Amino acid sequence: MSTAEIAIQVPQARLRALGPLATLARRRFQLTARTPRELFVPLLTPIMFALVIAPALKTALHTDASYESFVAIGTVGLLIPLNTMFSGLSVIVDRISGAQPELLTAPIPRGLLVVGNLLVALAITALQVGVLIAAAVARGIHFHATAAGILWFAAAGVLFTAGMYGLAEILASRVPRQEEYIARVPAIAILPWFLAGALFPITALPGFLTWVAKFLPLTHALALMRYGLRGDATGLHAIWGMSDRAAMAGLSLAVVGGFALLLTAASIRVFSRAAVQ
Amino acid sequence: MNAIEVTKLSKTYPGGVEAVKGIDFEVASGEVFGLLGPNGAGKSTTVGMLTTTIEPTSGSARLAGFDVAREPIATRRVSSVVFQEPVVDRSLSGRRNLEIHARLWGVEPREAAARIDELAGTFGLAELIERPAGSYSGGQRRRLEISRALVSHPRVLFLDEPTVGLDPRIRAELLEVIASLRNRTELTVLLTTHYLEEAERLCDRVAIIHAGRIVALDTPGALLAGLGRQLVEIRVDGSVNSVLATLRDRGVAGDDAFAVGSRVTVPLHDHSSGEAIAALHELGLAGAISAREPTLDDVYLRLTGDSLAVAA
Repeated sequence: MSTAEIAIQVPQARLRALGPLATLARRRFQLTARTPRELFVPLLTPIMFALVIAPALKTALHTDASYESFVAIGTVGLLIPLNTMFSGLSVIVDRISGAQPELLTAPIPRGLLVVGNLLVALAITALQVGVLIAAAVARGIHFHATAAGILWFAAAGVLFTAGMYGLAEILASRVPRQEEYIARVPAIAILPWFLAGALFPITALPGFLTWVAKFLPLTHALALMRYGLRGDATGLHAIWGMSDRAAMAGLSLAVVGGFALLLTAASIRVFSRAAVQ
Repeated sequence: MNAIEVTKLSKTYPGGVEAVKGIDFEVASGEVFGLLGPNGAGKSTTVGMLTTTIEPTSGSARLAGFDVAREPIATRRVSSVVFQEPVVDRSLSGRRNLEIHARLWGVEPREAAARIDELAGTFGLAELIERPAGSYSGGQRRRLEISRALVSHPRVLFLDEPTVGLDPRIRAELLEVIASLRNRTELTVLLTTHYLEEAERLCDRVAIIHAGRIVALDTPGALLAGLGRQLVEIRVDGSVNSVLATLRDRGVAGDDAFAVGSRVTVPLHDHSSGEAIAALHELGLAGAISAREPTLDDVYLRLTGDSLAVAA
């Protein structure tokens, strides 16, 4: 086989995978759309924090108005883990009582099932984050977003969602039953949120917990989102201690990107291995 | 070319459970082949290895010429599976379930639509096809799953215990559907079952599988012919072995007579049942004696010392 033939075949193989990938993503989207809890339940707690608890804290703690936008973005860090963990739960449902066994006998690389689910998780998360931000704006919370800032925010959101979805897929592949999966959700989705500077800067934490927070991908994602939507680099500075805002943002984006890449690859591998006994 | 070729195929699960122990068989194109055995015999593990969801420990298997271990995607492209448990997207319509299969197996949308309509008509789903699959009865869902498996024109169709859990009326209806698959001459079917009548009725050849090994493989007729035209059964109060020995000494029973529990079964090759019963009376064995035609359960019983119906 010539080099030219090889060069042509690789993109053709990728193109051939697009049809099945679109089918799998469409199927997952249709199943999700018929399960309203997957759309609305993850939204409830973040919206409550953004619209009720943040204004209440602002009043009680006598902070300024910018605290509301600080917490509103912080709640995105709760919304994404909750939503991706719910998506992972639907993988277990699919395995136990859905058509996943049939999909595993389809003539496609099994990793496409994970990628198809990830695409839908990203779309649903984007929709929910959009609703959360719109609700915050409607409540009178102000952001200071530029076009570049929105890109930072979106990049951080997409990459963090991809990483968290990878984590959810891995957990779903490892855990046989829904009850056991749900029991692990608080430790994965909620505990890091309290440490990652969602409600207060990580510098307010005890010293060793500040260091722990610096290693959490969520800390980096939240700092990037605030940099993007509020123009506020204090979160990035608390992590990196540098003066160059763009450099700190780039470094945090690399951390979140690495998290996404690593967990997406691991989830595909774990799922594909778990599919074969 | 054979549609299925299995050579010394084995599977040992983690923990050391040997589910399949070096089985060999071949299935010709267009043949309906049955794997008959009780639960835990290794039937579903064998299907799992052939459909690439279970990794063989050793041995090899080919589907339409493709090695299941080395060419899993090509293997899956030429086959379809109807699973033991219901496997459908319940909230999606029957049509959508079929469309997803068609797209994943690479059937063009226009061809898929025509094929779905044809199969829906053939399998009595035309009125139901737009309804969510979760609203189907057990028999309707099974017909949907068989239709789905056929949308992609598979060369090999696996039916893993397709009638388990169905009530007798629906089961009879489904057997008609499966029997109709025999008319699709290009289709090779591998059916697993622990129901004797299913294997007898549907299969060209049957492999009887017991504890991970194939203990007999032939046409249902040849397997039954091995036990003669009729059987005589004697329920014995005392030692079955001494009764068996006596019957063999007197020439009433041959080497293929066998005893399980308190029952002695004597295949009749050269005698009529009347002659055999008269001889048993002369031997003072006038208790519970009955004569009947052999079934595959008798074949299984003779080979394994266990009743298929009880073991299942």
